[in-house]
Amino acid sequence: MTFLESVGYRAIRRVEYVGALCIQFWQGSRFVLRVNPFAGRRLRWRRLTQQMAEIGVRSLPVLCLVAGATGMIMALQSGAELRKFGAMEAVINLVGTSMTRELGPLIAAIVVIGRSGSAISAEVATMVVTEEVDALKAMALDPLDFLVAPKYVAMVVVMPCLTIAAVFSGILAGGVFAYFTLGMTLVMYLRRTAEILLMRDVVSGLVKALVFGSIIVHVGCLEGFRVSGGPEGVGKSTTGAVVKSIFLVIVADLICTAFFYFFWR
Amino acid sequence: MRTLRAAKGWVRPREAEGEPLIRVRGLRVSYGSREVLRGVDLDVRRGETLVILGPSGCGKTTLLRQLEALDRPSAGSVSIAGVDILRASRRQLEGVRRLMGVSFQSAAMFNSMTVGDNVALPLREHTDLAESTIQVLLRMKLQQVGLIGVEDLYPSQLSGGMRKRASLARALALDPEILFFDEPSAGLDPIIAAGIDQLILSLKEAFHMTIIVVTHEMHSAFLIADRMCMLDEGRILAVGAAEVIRSHPHPRVQQFLNRVPDPVDEGSSSYIVGGRQ
Repeated sequence: MTFLESVGYRAIRRVEYVGALCIQFWQGSRFVLRVNPFAGRRLRWRRLTQQMAEIGVRSLPVLCLVAGATGMIMALQSGAELRKFGAMEAVINLVGTSMTRELGPLIAAIVVIGRSGSAISAEVATMVVTEEVDALKAMALDPLDFLVAPKYVAMVVVMPCLTIAAVFSGILAGGVFAYFTLGMTLVMYLRRTAEILLMRDVVSGLVKALVFGSIIVHVGCLEGFRVSGGPEGVGKSTTGAVVKSIFLVIVADLICTAFFYFFWR
Repeated sequence: MRTLRAAKGWVRPREAEGEPLIRVRGLRVSYGSREVLRGVDLDVRRGETLVILGPSGCGKTTLLRQLEALDRPSAGSVSIAGVDILRASRRQLEGVRRLMGVSFQSAAMFNSMTVGDNVALPLREHTDLAESTIQVLLRMKLQQVGLIGVEDLYPSQLSGGMRKRASLARALALDPEILFFDEPSAGLDPIIAAGIDQLILSLKEAFHMTIIVVTHEMHSAFLIADRMCMLDEGRILAVGAAEVIRSHPHPRVQQFLNRVPDPVDEGSSSYIVGGRQ
């Protein structure tokens, strides 16, 4: 294979992958409304609540720690530079807006990819290897309906909540910095943060959370469905899910940021 | 039970008068550049037990997956109960799958659910039965395969033979018309394997199901088969009743039945590789 052929082959594979993700998203969306407490025997509803606990509740402690640490790091780093210009109060603006618009959703996504994206991929891949997915099909049950839809709905509900928790943790950590360096009380700090935040900042952060959540679930499931090579393939699909999710989340972040920059100033 | 299956608007597909229940024509399946099935023609009649035989890697499981409508062929056609799988809509495919029960080689029980929930899953998803009726039915199905009092256990708490039986109970949940077995006795000791054979025979006798079995076990094959089909290198070498297969003149068929090893290539002195004298 020549260099050009190899580049072309890889490019086609990437495009095919994104196409498969879009098809899975489209086909899976048809089953979303079936995930409700009144449909059927509440099997999907039970799976949804399990997934929400798994993705959401169990991610919360580590997410708050990571987001808090990031907020503090941002405050310290920016404080060191802004002090030179006598603009220490700008640290509040910087931490508030960057956590709400950018870092909150991104940190939530990365924590969820590490905890749940890999677990989703491993679960689906194991089900493929042990023929459980074939068993579902043989029982006339669509795996997108039975497996993917409850995970997707759980993620769509939980990701914005996790993002809000991450934003609060980061901002509170900035508040600790403000208390010690500016002598500002927590109430004053929070009031100031609320003044500088715009609706646009909040909406863009939540929209990103939804987009990132969709990417994480669908990449995890697609990697699981495409597993090959038996049990050792499960490990590879998990690694693939994490790497591809992080890459696609960052690309989606760029697109969302550009969209809000140009269309909602 | 037939009416129960129709409870959720299921239209039962049915082959035309005189047509085989399953008709395979010119079936070709490729994985990348490797052709696994190379033009298979096969008919399966309603109520018969067909055993698919052949050496490892000859395409038995691939053929079975086509008959189960789990994969789509590269070329050719598979028609089940009058529905062409290649041209079938999602709804038609679902309709065909509801005629089937599949017992997988690895049992394929859902490990996150109890045995009872596994067996009840098709009933809960495809019928409007009350939960109390489902509980009665699932106990009946488990009893049918000789399992009692295991409904609250998880599949990981069962032995290999019990898992296979539980998987069979799940396959029987909706009273299928076609039952597929992939290597039903693989990995089981001879006593449990004989028990599975007896179970297949009793199902055949009691419910007149169409049963398709993929196996390596010659004893089991001759015991349960009405007809046998021998595959080799993606092609059918022989199809017929057990006696026809037993006396088939094809040397590969006789080699397989009489367990004669392939001749050793020149240059390699033994089947045993390594180990210095």
